[in-house]
Amino acid sequence: MGDTLRCLTVQAGAKGVAVRLVPWLWSAALAAVILGPALGPGYVLSYDMVWVPDLGLGRDALGVGSALPRTVPSDAFVAVLDEVVPGMVLQKLVLLAALVVAGAGAARLVGSRSLAVQVVAATCMVWNPFVAERLVIGHWPVLLGYAVVPWLLLLAGRWDVGSRMPVALPLLLVVGSLSASTGLATAVALVAAGARRDVRRWLLLGALLLAANAPWLVAGLAHAAAATSSAAAAEVYATSGEGWLPGPLAALGLGGIWNAQVVPGTRAGFLAVVALVVWVVAAVIGLRRGSAGIAPAAWRAAVTCWVLGYGVAVLGWAVPGVMGWLAASVPGGGVLRDSSRLLALTAPLVVVLVARGAGVVLDLVRDRGSRRVTAAVLVAVPILCLPDAGWGIRGQLRPIDYPQDLLDVRAASRAVPPGDLAVLPFSSYRVPRWNHGHPVVNPLPRLVDRDAVVNDELLIDGRTHPGEDPRARAVGEALALPTARARTEALLRIGVSGVVIEQFEGWDEPAFVGDALLANDLVTVIALEGRAGGQGHDARVEGAMPAAWVAWLVLIAGGATQNVIHVIRRMILRRRATAG
Amino acid sequence: MNNFLAPIVSVLAGGALASAGLVGLISSQTSAPEQSPANAEAPAWDYGATE
Repeated sequence: MGDTLRCLTVQAGAKGVAVRLVPWLWSAALAAVILGPALGPGYVLSYDMVWVPDLGLGRDALGVGSALPRTVPSDAFVAVLDEVVPGMVLQKLVLLAALVVAGAGAARLVGSRSLAVQVVAATCMVWNPFVAERLVIGHWPVLLGYAVVPWLLLLAGRWDVGSRMPVALPLLLVVGSLSASTGLATAVALVAAGARRDVRRWLLLGALLLAANAPWLVAGLAHAAAATSSAAAAEVYATSGEGWLPGPLAALGLGGIWNAQVVPGTRAGFLAVVALVVWVVAAVIGLRRGSAGIAPAAWRAAVTCWVLGYGVAVLGWAVPGVMGWLAASVPGGGVLRDSSRLLALTAPLVVVLVARGAGVVLDLVRDRGSRRVTAAVLVAVPILCLPDAGWGIRGQLRPIDYPQDLLDVRAASRAVPPGDLAVLPFSSYRVPRWNHGHPVVNPLPRLVDRDAVVNDELLIDGRTHPGEDPRARAVGEALALPTARARTEALLRIGVSGVVIEQFEGWDEPAFVGDALLANDLVTVIALEGRAGGQGHDARVEGAMPAAWVAWLVLIAGGATQNVIHVIRRMILRRRATAG
Repeated sequence: MNNFLAPIVSVLAGGALASAGLVGLISSQTSAPEQSPANAEAPAWDYGATE
């Protein structure tokens, strides 16, 4: 009798595990369909997403360069991890993990025992305009933050005063804070879900958030004098309408990115309107279920996150001038200029309500067979409303192999005398033929094994928006000088000892005085003749950053240790239970 | 009547086609390609477009 009971319990347990795995497996399948060709061999380079075989831990990655810390700590995170996992594999793992974790988090957050409702939630979280648009524009840290938000609401929402901190929280915070804007969204989610009327809780939340965001926060504060951005650029980055939908309606359905070039084609047509109507109707029906099955704190946090995320996105659309003023007047205010990034905060509530609406519809169907068919249709609806999100966002995410001529730059750059490099043409973006003619941030500064000064001006709609890096401005002025000797001397004076020149048809590359260390069909590397001056390192930045990195590493080490102890403890308990 | 109208219609249709062809040709030769250097001296590429 006892053996039979134990056998039944084990079977039930195994079935429970299998059911819990379904949302993970379904999210993985959806992620594989969305990424499609991007999962094949090679690197996917798209707008801001640049991955290289071996990213160096340079001054900008560490936050001690002269540029604003836009890639802090994401570049350092990659530079360290690609010592263990090759960059190409790491990129695919990160993109896959972001989508799978997001889908599974939504399925768990929805608070329903119905597998169909969980799968609808996972589908809506993975297959939507926000994911498609941020994938094409290459905002992978934003997608990691997006994946973390539902888990933060879940874990912090159940974290009662006096109880132990959820073991996964520190690592979730680190992963969700790999850039300034996503760090901000993660902080909002944690405070909304984890804050209680308890001083110690507030102190603990503050310490966790400071440690998780310390690298970009300290680097940003140290650059405070230059940390204001162009007001006009803030207006360009405002939440935008998509096709027939004005900005606020596009944002309601998780769309509304500023860059029309990365918006899936169907968002410009009637299908986007259909999708919005379906989502809104389902969400309104879902409201009938209230917050049943969800921890009250998690529910309140999801609502708060939606209000804040949607509010900022709509503010960016309605009063872009205010966002512009904020970016131009308040150091760090530019974090909010791409206002639709914060729609990551709205996704959990939207997805939960839509999935609960699908649950209400399912409950109307009594017959088991019809119920299965209805469930399949409900799961398919989000996919059918955005069909061009599939297969690498309709072929926009295609991997490439770096041409060997470009890879050869790494070795040649090591022979340049001490100093920084300037990469020409001195513009931040490229549309290389070897990248299928797809726009991407200039990958050469990441391919070379040296610090390189990068032009941070942006050309949008044919109009140039000024950058913030004073060294980049100085390099631009030096390059504008009329003679090879004058350009060379001016670059040397500001600490640039070498130039890497890419060949482009119809462009007469400027001349310099120096030795060509490499000259192939794509690139020339020149060591400038003369000794380079100092790079103008900022002692305040260099003094403050080590403390920030130590705080960040302590959080990672503490989080990892907690998780290991947790796993060991569970294994011991399980073994004891089996033995008993 | 037909003998009178046919040449006029032919001239109008032919003129319209020729004008459309000419405008299209000039437009395709003078407008900047979607992703091309801003100028030959300092190439720069659009990061994005809001429309």
